[in-house]
Amino acid sequence: MASPALAILVKETRELVRDPLYLGLALVIPVVLMVLFGYGLSADVKHVRVAVLDHDRSPWSRQYIDAYIHSEYFDFMGLVRDEHEADEWLRSGHARAVIDIPPSFARDLAGRGAAAVGVTVDGAFPTFAEIIEGYVNAVNAQFNQQFLPATAAGAPVTLDISVWYNPALESKNFIVPGMLVLLMQIFPAMLGALLITREKESGTIFTLYASPASRADILFGKAVPYVVVTILDYLIIFAMSIWLFEVRFIGSFWVLSAAAVLYAVCTVGVGLLISAFARTQLAAMLIAVLGTVTPAFNLSGFIAPVASQDLVGRIAGSLIPATYFMEVSRGTYLKGLGFEVYWRNLLALAAYATVVYSLAWWRLRKRIG
Amino acid sequence: MTRRLVAMIRKELAQLLRDVPLVLVLLWAFGGSIYVHGHGVSTEIFNYPVVILDLSRSPASREFVARLHAPYFKIVGFARNDRDVVEALDLARASLAVVIPPDFERLVRSGQGSVQVISDGTLSTSAAIAGAHLATITDAYNQYLLAERGQPAPRLSRVDARVRVAYNPNETSAWFSSVLELLNMTTEVSILLTAAALVREKERGTLDQLLVTPLRPAELFAAKIAPTIIVVVPLSLLALLAIIRGAFHTPIQGSLVLFYAVTVVYVFTIAGLGLTIAVLVKNVAQAMMLLVLILFPMLFLSGARNPAETMEPWMRYVSLVSPMRYYIDFGYQVLFKGNGIAYVWKDLVGILGIGGLMFWFAVVRFRHAFHR
Repeated sequence: MASPALAILVKETRELVRDPLYLGLALVIPVVLMVLFGYGLSADVKHVRVAVLDHDRSPWSRQYIDAYIHSEYFDFMGLVRDEHEADEWLRSGHARAVIDIPPSFARDLAGRGAAAVGVTVDGAFPTFAEIIEGYVNAVNAQFNQQFLPATAAGAPVTLDISVWYNPALESKNFIVPGMLVLLMQIFPAMLGALLITREKESGTIFTLYASPASRADILFGKAVPYVVVTILDYLIIFAMSIWLFEVRFIGSFWVLSAAAVLYAVCTVGVGLLISAFARTQLAAMLIAVLGTVTPAFNLSGFIAPVASQDLVGRIAGSLIPATYFMEVSRGTYLKGLGFEVYWRNLLALAAYATVVYSLAWWRLRKRIG
Repeated sequence: MTRRLVAMIRKELAQLLRDVPLVLVLLWAFGGSIYVHGHGVSTEIFNYPVVILDLSRSPASREFVARLHAPYFKIVGFARNDRDVVEALDLARASLAVVIPPDFERLVRSGQGSVQVISDGTLSTSAAIAGAHLATITDAYNQYLLAERGQPAPRLSRVDARVRVAYNPNETSAWFSSVLELLNMTTEVSILLTAAALVREKERGTLDQLLVTPLRPAELFAAKIAPTIIVVVPLSLLALLAIIRGAFHTPIQGSLVLFYAVTVVYVFTIAGLGLTIAVLVKNVAQAMMLLVLILFPMLFLSGARNPAETMEPWMRYVSLVSPMRYYIDFGYQVLFKGNGIAYVWKDLVGILGIGGLMFWFAVVRFRHAFHR
């Protein structure tokens, strides 16, 4: 298989290297996206716009409002006159939370020792609503602290919480290793998807069919240059993660790299598979974006733990290579685990690659026949 | 002029619908994909996976464990020893481990009970929220214990914040995720379809043939945009009615007429962006790269998960040039809040402004390159 495969490899490499836009973007895009996402995706949400409907207008209610004004999480938008205006502000997004202090607030607090405030949160963004809820509870608890007696009454059960893997709960520590996985998916899947389709559309595929190159030659020759570029991307992103973002990396570089190489083979393979099936470049592009990049973002465990997804989500997640590499990436960066745990993932990626290339190989024959 | 425009649009549509894999992808985009995302991607910390190591095996420990349940927590297993716990966390089978010491029951009675919690901090946001839920549950458990012993919690003054979530009272993630996926798909499909439709002609050389026909650049572009609108808008309506409302029972609060009127404008704008990309490149592969460079930051700066005002200031300014930012805001306001034009006119102005600019730029660039 040596010479035809090599010839295709040389031709594909030349095509890749000769187009400055092509190669430039292939290497520049991951860097640009990495900077954008790495600096931008801070999970610490601040500037939550809050408004207050103060029916009480007492020193106590003002003190309660002060707690929100001084909180670093909230931006105090002002007092609203009535329920109608409160609703109006929530609707327009001028406020994302409205705190309703009842007329009896100070009286209840002094008399019964307990008062309630109503908080309405904009639920159009459920995650955001949940975060606001957490902030409200925190500010509220802080306000309550002044009432605690000097010697705290012992609660029967206390929690002794320790955080592993990312003790300071820094979001960059999960976002950057996750981005590594996503960025290694975008470029090869999208460009790989065009590799054979392009030849189909321009008709040059028949030249290939007529050549002595076997199906394996074609796949090999087309895949290798792209796998190499993807591995270059991997090295660039890895270097950025360590030196630019200063994410802690405590695992084995070699295990991560082994997985990255297999993953690159997989993602290019997925591209080639799409390429073998799609008739037009347009279809290939759409399949690549919708079938690989979007699921990698949503279903690979990038945002939420895979174990918490329901069956549909988990099955969909297990069908994409990103899920397997995501575990290795986060695991080597943060957990310091190595081959003893991730041999399964390496095996899964290898199996995935085998299946993908076999399918592409099989599909290519049908086109020839 | 209308006749040649119609002829061109018909040709484009025929070309599009003849491509079977493409049609399948479109159906997936507005069907399966929205269903899977609505179903499978939860936005909240629901079913947070917990592993339990109960060394006490007492009524007290069982009572505590029983409180860790849906919707927030899901017990994925009971460990027999420390090694099981470590393994569950290492392999990410569980994201939280609760270890109850052997003498838990006795300690609880003497008011010194302590539960060891190990949290996987990898996904830091989820970990923090799960920790807060666990604290709330423990607090409730303490109240229960004290009440059971007839010694209610020491009477202290306290304010209770009762949170109500407007527009989505149960924080149903399917409503949100499916609508977001619909808005994403509308964007992605519109930009890809249109960009590819023009670049393809460039790549094959058929563009030169079109240029010698009486078709003017603006007409050519209109003919490339129209099929995208004709395909995307009905598919979006179908997905909204059948999946988002039908399967997930999402209450659609606002006017569908308004939503689709603006969606048509939005698809035009995004298609204009696709054309601009197509005008700037030589072949589909280059278009793809440029698309990535534009589409991903756009998706990312759309303010889809947290509202735009919470972004870093520089990102907030950058996001102003992204039409998707306006469409997401518009979509949520109309679909979830039932807002009318009085609330969303700014979004409409943003979408229209960018769309007009894109179309104009594409035409000028195109003329410059091909027409003299």
